[in-house]
Amino acid sequence: MNEMTEGHTVKRFDEEMQFLHRLVLEIGGLAQDQLKRAVQTLNDKDPATAREVIKRDQELNDLDIQADEEFINLIIKRQPMAKDLREIITISKAVSDLERVGDEVRKIAQLTIHIYDTDRSLPTLQILRDINTMANFVSNMLSASLMAFDKLDISRAIKVIRQDVELEEEYKSALRRLSTFVMEDARSVGHMIDVALGLRALERIGGHAKNIAGYVVFLVTSKDVRHDSLDAIEATLKLHDPRS
Amino acid sequence: MQTNTLYNSSATQPDNCINIQSSIASDDCHTVGNTSVKNPRMNCRNVDVFYADKQAINQVTLDIGRNEVIAMIGPSGCGKSTFLRCLNRMNDTIDSCRISGEILLDGQNIYDKRQDVVPLRAQVGMVFQKPNPFPKSIYENVAYGPRIHGLTSTKSDLDIIVESSLNRAGLWDEVKDRLNQPGTGLSGGQQQRLCIARTIAVGPEVILMDEPCSALDPIATAKIEELIDELHEEYTIVIVTHSMQQAARVSQRTAYFHLGNLIEVGETNQIFSNPRHKLTEDYITGRFG
Amino acid sequence: MSNKIDNEVLSASPNKSMQRVQASLARRYAKERRFRRMGISAVITGLLFLSLLFGSIISNGYTAFWQTYIQIEVHFDAEMLDPQGQRSPEALSAANYGGLVKRSLRQMFPQVKKRSDKRKLYHLVSSGAAFQLREMVMNNPQLIGSTALIWVAADDDVDMLMKGHINRHKPEADRRMKDQQISWVDELLQQGRIEQRFNTTFFTAGDSREPELAGIRGAVMGSIFTLLITLALSLPIGVAAALYLEEFAPTNRLTDLIEVNINNLAAVPSIVFGLLGLAVFIGFFGMPRSVPIVGGLVLTLMTLPTIIIASRAALKSVPPSIREAALGIGASRMQTVFHHVLPQALPGMLTGTIIGMAQALGETAPLLMIGMVAFIVDIPGNVMDPSTALPVQIYLWADSPERAFAERTSAAIMVLLAFLITMNTLAVLLRKKFERRW
Repeated sequence: MNEMTEGHTVKRFDEEMQFLHRLVLEIGGLAQDQLKRAVQTLNDKDPATAREVIKRDQELNDLDIQADEEFINLIIKRQPMAKDLREIITISKAVSDLERVGDEVRKIAQLTIHIYDTDRSLPTLQILRDINTMANFVSNMLSASLMAFDKLDISRAIKVIRQDVELEEEYKSALRRLSTFVMEDARSVGHMIDVALGLRALERIGGHAKNIAGYVVFLVTSKDVRHDSLDAIEATLKLHDPRS
Repeated sequence: MQTNTLYNSSATQPDNCINIQSSIASDDCHTVGNTSVKNPRMNCRNVDVFYADKQAINQVTLDIGRNEVIAMIGPSGCGKSTFLRCLNRMNDTIDSCRISGEILLDGQNIYDKRQDVVPLRAQVGMVFQKPNPFPKSIYENVAYGPRIHGLTSTKSDLDIIVESSLNRAGLWDEVKDRLNQPGTGLSGGQQQRLCIARTIAVGPEVILMDEPCSALDPIATAKIEELIDELHEEYTIVIVTHSMQQAARVSQRTAYFHLGNLIEVGETNQIFSNPRHKLTEDYITGRFG
Repeated sequence: MSNKIDNEVLSASPNKSMQRVQASLARRYAKERRFRRMGISAVITGLLFLSLLFGSIISNGYTAFWQTYIQIEVHFDAEMLDPQGQRSPEALSAANYGGLVKRSLRQMFPQVKKRSDKRKLYHLVSSGAAFQLREMVMNNPQLIGSTALIWVAADDDVDMLMKGHINRHKPEADRRMKDQQISWVDELLQQGRIEQRFNTTFFTAGDSREPELAGIRGAVMGSIFTLLITLALSLPIGVAAALYLEEFAPTNRLTDLIEVNINNLAAVPSIVFGLLGLAVFIGFFGMPRSVPIVGGLVLTLMTLPTIIIASRAALKSVPPSIREAALGIGASRMQTVFHHVLPQALPGMLTGTIIGMAQALGETAPLLMIGMVAFIVDIPGNVMDPSTALPVQIYLWADSPERAFAERTSAAIMVLLAFLITMNTLAVLLRKKFERRW
């Protein structure tokens, strides 16, 4: 699969590492799918499916627990060192981030139910437009971070970290737009809060994607960059660039 | 696959290092990491060791600091034990062994013609892989060193040395009632601690340990490790071990040997979390061979 | 091809391979039993031969520990012993005691008149009887003039007759005891004048032409002196050589050569050492012949390789970890060897030494070359006195035609074996004692 998991004298160790690696991708795929479906329910005005999405979050939680057990077993059996240790820690953290992505997705599904499963008046589609664009953006970030993890691709990971800055800007301007809606029509304030919470959930998902990208940088370079500025990260990256 | 992003450019060179013969004159085998320390106890400069025509150690340069535990790890036959035995000239007993380069103890070259090995070995004590107490009583085992070096003139002084050595080796409470019983009657772990007591009884500055726990069970091993942890406040300890966990647990610095070369040396935490050389990484993550 | 076969074997189901194992089991066990039986029969054969050897030696030799004595009535006639009446030791020692014995015998059998018959009569008692009487008189001159009943040793032929080694039913010409002599012996027997007693002479006397007077004391003392010399020389030299070669000498061509030569020396026939001793010690240094000191020197040469090899083996068996331990705390090489290695190797060295000594004790050939084969009656008092050794004595007696020497040969062998067994037991005990210390 990649040089992070292969080449151990004990072949079984390789297999266990690869299993965990695939488990992360599986959990990530599930989280992405959940996100897509949750946003879709909003567009389709389909609270029934939204309930299904919420229910399906349990699967994600189960996988999270399964992954935790696997980490413990692996640490007991193999006492991983150096990059194996970093890989294990990265996987463990990525899995809990992905599990939280699932929780955020639930909030978006909750939004569908709130808006369309009540006898309140429907909001204008314009309000929801920002949700859609941001969901797309975040979904791309998430898949990019998973890709970076899978391929140990630092440049892609850095791109995700950079995108998170954009996402912050996007989130702020979306909130500003929402407030103009409130000023235009005070009755829509209930919806506005719901939508704001949805945006907030999407922003958090983006944050988790950025965390995962940060773990990838740590995994490859062994530098923890999650709390570094972008410039510092790029400086680190330069150190590890073979072409420099 | 972006393998190259993982290691700096020097990491692609170790393949050249594997053939010792071809690399003797080359600079390819620069040790990764900082080999020098401030105010070192021992300095090794460009040490080469040959057994007859076979080179066992190639241009090793390494400082050993004061009151530090430095662990030497590496696969079998990598020269770590040979290097350890150079530090108190135990290799002198092997006729075909030839050593070049210099090893300084407190600035004094121990391979100098004027250097006598007897006081050297009192300064640089050694603990061996297999516990090897003398077939004498526990008391005699500890008292032997001080006696031959003439450290005491009276029996009561000797008693004090024996008690304090056994105390520091954490063995006093276990053996104080049977000092006249043979040392070989103790358990493996106790025997090894007796050997440590015997070594510290002559008041060394440096203690060399050659896989001191490889013949012991985990509890005995833990006791030795605890002892090493206590002793390093007073002594410099150089330990060769096959257990990476042990190296990680007891040492402050770790040196990785591979086929006679010192590949990498660094803070133990760094070596075990983020080794800089590919060979080191492969070894400690179990990817060797 | 072989891979394929391997695969077939490997791919056989567990059941099938179990069947094969079962089928071959009986054969394997049968083989094992055969092997064990062969081993046991080898041991039994060895024991059989050993018991045969011991049996024949003991059955031949045990009678030598008894000796026939004849009681004669002796009148210490002053006329005959000391006609001048001076009682001076010179006169007493030169007197004719043999005549005294002969007169006693004539008086006991007055019917014997013919000169040749008289000579036969005189042959009944040992020629040693005269010496016995002289000694009595020398010790106590008051005896002169008195008459006493004295037990004297019988001649070896009488002894043999009493022990049943001379067959009465053979034709008279074929036996050493004539009919007349036998009738005299029977008469004495009826009178209670013949008796068998424990043979102290055998242990207290030196060699003699007369079997009834011959003893092994001289040979035993000679052996003891020789062995003392051998031990005193070969133990320190051998141990020192082994220590040097094993612990101090560098490994180079020279020491290799020395090692090979020591091994060769151990295989050199012992007679060659005898020739060497003859040439060097007697020929060159001009030492006397037949003396234990030369024998000891020669046996030292012969024993040295054995001791060196055994000592080196003992040193090699000391674990190197002990040496390392001592060196590791700063003991010098000497201290390491003498404080730790030597005490550990000593039991092995002693065992080797005692085995070497036992070998030396049993050695004949080199002693023949340096003249320790001479007929020596006097018991040696020190290492410079001419003497012989036990195995040489056995060799000498085995050569003698008299039947009585045959049983003494066996008896001497028994004494030699007793010495050997004692020494080997000592070796075992010493080793046990030293090894048990820790």
